[in-house]
Amino acid sequence: MKQPEIADPKPPTYKNRPRVGVFVCHCGINIAGVVKIPELMERVTKWGDVAVVKDYKYTCSDPGQQMIRDAIKADRLDRIVVACCSPTLHETTFRNACAEAGLNPYLCEIANIREQCSWVTEDRDKATDKATEIVRTVLAKACADQPLESITVPINKRALVIGAGIAGIQSALDIANAGYEVVLVEKEPSIGGHMAQLSETFPTLDCSQCILTPRTVETGRHPKIKLLTYSEVESVSGYVGNFKVKIRQKARYVDFDACTGCGLCMEKCPGRAESSFERGMAKRKAIYRLLPQAVPNRPVIDAQSCMYLLKGKCGVCAKICPTQAIRYDDKDKFVEEEVGAIVMSTGYELFDAAGLGAYGVGTVPDVIDGLAFERLLSASGPTSGEVKRPSDGKTPKKVVFVQCAGSRDSTQGMPYCSKICCMYTAKQAILYRHRVHDGEATVCYIDVRTPGKGFEEFYRRATDDGIQYLRGKVSKIFRQGDKVVVWASDTLAGRKVELEADLVVLATAVVANPDGVALARKLKTQLDTHGFMTEAHPKLRPVETLTAGFFLAGCGQGPKDIPETVAQASAAAAKVLAMFGSTKLTHSPTVAVVDEDICVGCGNCERTCAYDAVKVDEQRGIAVVNAALCEGCGACAMSCPSGAMNHKNFTKKAIFDMADQF
Amino acid sequence: MKYVYYPGCTLYTKARNLDACARKAAARVGFELTEMPSWNCCGAIYNTTTDDLAAQVGSVRNLAKASQLGEKLVTLCAACHNVLKRVDDRLHAQGNEVERDRLIAFVDEKFEHRVQVMHYLEVLKNDIGFDKVKEKVTKPLAGLKVASYYGCLMVRPREVLQFDDPENPQVMDDLMAALGAVPTPFDFKAECCGGYLVVNRRDVARTASKRILDNARARGAEAIVTTCPLCQYNVDKLRPGGDGAMPVFYFTQLLGLAVGLPVEELGFEYNAFDPKPFLAQKGLA
Amino acid sequence: MHIPSGLSLVREIEELSGQVVADCYQCGCCTSGCPVGEQMDPPPSKAIRLLQLNKAAELLASDGIWMCASCLVCGTRCPRAVDYARIAEACRALILRTRQSKVDPDTVTAPELEEIPQQAFIASFRKFSV
Repeated sequence: MKQPEIADPKPPTYKNRPRVGVFVCHCGINIAGVVKIPELMERVTKWGDVAVVKDYKYTCSDPGQQMIRDAIKADRLDRIVVACCSPTLHETTFRNACAEAGLNPYLCEIANIREQCSWVTEDRDKATDKATEIVRTVLAKACADQPLESITVPINKRALVIGAGIAGIQSALDIANAGYEVVLVEKEPSIGGHMAQLSETFPTLDCSQCILTPRTVETGRHPKIKLLTYSEVESVSGYVGNFKVKIRQKARYVDFDACTGCGLCMEKCPGRAESSFERGMAKRKAIYRLLPQAVPNRPVIDAQSCMYLLKGKCGVCAKICPTQAIRYDDKDKFVEEEVGAIVMSTGYELFDAAGLGAYGVGTVPDVIDGLAFERLLSASGPTSGEVKRPSDGKTPKKVVFVQCAGSRDSTQGMPYCSKICCMYTAKQAILYRHRVHDGEATVCYIDVRTPGKGFEEFYRRATDDGIQYLRGKVSKIFRQGDKVVVWASDTLAGRKVELEADLVVLATAVVANPDGVALARKLKTQLDTHGFMTEAHPKLRPVETLTAGFFLAGCGQGPKDIPETVAQASAAAAKVLAMFGSTKLTHSPTVAVVDEDICVGCGNCERTCAYDAVKVDEQRGIAVVNAALCEGCGACAMSCPSGAMNHKNFTKKAIFDMADQF
Repeated sequence: MKYVYYPGCTLYTKARNLDACARKAAARVGFELTEMPSWNCCGAIYNTTTDDLAAQVGSVRNLAKASQLGEKLVTLCAACHNVLKRVDDRLHAQGNEVERDRLIAFVDEKFEHRVQVMHYLEVLKNDIGFDKVKEKVTKPLAGLKVASYYGCLMVRPREVLQFDDPENPQVMDDLMAALGAVPTPFDFKAECCGGYLVVNRRDVARTASKRILDNARARGAEAIVTTCPLCQYNVDKLRPGGDGAMPVFYFTQLLGLAVGLPVEELGFEYNAFDPKPFLAQKGLA
Repeated sequence: MHIPSGLSLVREIEELSGQVVADCYQCGCCTSGCPVGEQMDPPPSKAIRLLQLNKAAELLASDGIWMCASCLVCGTRCPRAVDYARIAEACRALILRTRQSKVDPDTVTAPELEEIPQQAFIASFRKFSV
């Protein structure tokens, strides 16, 4: 390996020799313990263009920044290189310091001699040599830098919230109550999400509808919320602060304004279809609403099960509707909304347990999942809250609850823990015992996870009630006569256990709503390997995405319970309101720039760009960069065959200058 | 279509009548089984310890011999199939080149190329096609409610056998349907009968096999069909069901019956529960 | 052949079986699904626990490892892809390699020999005899 030439670096060729200040940070002993700082400074001082070299123990501190500000003024510096930690940490800090001292912040560069140097070796000499090389390279860049001004974009202070479960509802209300307009889009005919399907919620055993309906009603009535139900987002174009959203309003076949929600049509409709709301526990009519407390209280016709729409027969609903609100000729409509911020709250689904072949789902009728059991428990459910098993409608006297059905399973399911199941299973077992006083409940578990407030006490309540907790993951579920047999084990006693049940409830894994996954792909927001939306930083930025202007809330980002969902939704709203609180948005100016004299409009850059930030103007025959959308990744500059595309402060010349320093 | 055929020790001796009707049925359906000469015992069970090469030698020799004779090696016995396929998989696994070279060099038969190890059922499903099989059926097994019992060796380990869904396999059920029977789903299709534990722990094998029989009966089956001579023994001859037994057929017997082989050639002497009266009562023989 | 002791015995079993006992989070699914789980002592998950607790000698002395039929349901359904059948086989191999048999071929009676498919004998002796 060629050793770096330290004594005589090639000086960059500039007309006006810059006056660069180099500040070397010790970072305690992080850098100083490995890099020999006095030696580094001695080498740097000898270079042309370097007007002053200083060091400091913690340069990011106030005195450290003051040192930089003072030096800029005293030594008439027009470029700064700070040799310290990664720019992701303090580039903004030092650029702000420059700006305060009157120096353009984009003339300040960071030489990372910590993560890229002192943290990856113990050899002091090698570290010092490498640090020298890094500083010299960044010095070349600093000399090539031009002063830049931040780009400002206007903000349209309207928000879009996609998905109106409890997360979307909370975000929408928070933003609307702050005085801004919100467009709330929901793909189902009414709002409330999965929370509307629940009977009671843990750990308080509040009736789910009772705590949800005040929110849904407020949402439906809110003057600042434009509620678009039975609608889906088709496309989003534009950039943060200036989004154009195309929304498809699906044909309801019912005139929204003429309909009064009286429900006569639903009484008489002969059509039947599997009700997704009832999770396979019941059928619904072809003209239907999801639940009696639906907001908005307007039914829709499902064209796949309506005899009139399919075959031209029946038409009963149109005949008896007192306000003639049925519109068989309805079509999907498209609306365009302009918004400045988007909150994605598309929610979750339950893992399809048919994938767990040994559990008998689909073949044994009395094996159901948690949401289906919730419908059996629910007072507005298909059995009016009486627990009856699907096969014969009898009241089950023995119910076995199977935890981790598809969770914590790297081979057949999801490797992660779904977080809410231990709690909702305890709840369901307690509620079952409330309804069936002589019923026996057994919970087969691996661990019982009770991290929230009141959760451990709630679990104690379940065991105090005589609910049997058996530690052992279930291997097989099958039928024997009219019983369901469960092969489980008691690992604490160290033996296999065979249980006979009347009904088995599987706590299946929580997965990302597939419609939400498809939407994220369409909108090019980030998803993790399981389809959950990815936050900008797992610890410190849990409600933002890496796409500016898109925020996250709810189970679409990962499994969580209602209090966490509501907290996250309000947090997302707060981020939106913070954005709306400023008059304009600033955007980094290190963006792509086209040399219009050279560009021939070949379109390579347009095809390469992941942000839709550069397009070829057909009339002028050259590429045009939308600086507000450009994220400065440099891909277009690399793909440009003629060299017309360059990158502000990352010009080809700057890069060659930097490379020359090796 | 011709296939290199490996009968295995049990089918060659004690279950030779199952083998005989298998060959004849194959001929009727449209393929030929050519027994490979001087084959040896495959090992009867796959040895899983990471360091035991000696246990694989028998199978490697068979695979080498077969490679001199054709592309596809067909077995009838689920155990032989399991061993041969797993040895073949291990032989050609990435990272096992040193082991493979040693084994191939050790056996006295020249290893020409990798053969495809197939089970007779896979030939019927993939190469012949069940609709073709259906065409050859002259005596459909109408009204025969039969539970297809696959046993563990046919379907596990999943990645190697790649036979069907190990929890709810369908291949043999589909064959039964093609033969005109009524495949009865049940919950113990691929659960273990006790296998070789019958040698020194008959009671354990009996308990495991009884479960299978009980469940099949509870789900409405009146007969069981198997693909492994040991499963056949455990569920049939061992009499786990006591008086509540039911006929346990080997799948080639039902295949032979359906494609018109005479009843005497179906090897019913091998069955402990004599199925002839049962079949007569169903109008099938 | 010498059987190692202590932690090196556990490592030896891991090496022979190709399994890592630390992967097991003791969910018990293997025990739940084992066809002979009621009779096996210790059952699969407890057996692995003994290895995790460095009590391999206790496992080698047990009857349970000689009860495994190699049906592979345990490994197929394990959420961590741990194959107990292979672990049991490794344990048995260590004992068999000291020339101790569990099943004596001489105890097979003539009627059994006549009746039982030879595949069963060969398999049984391969797993349990030397």
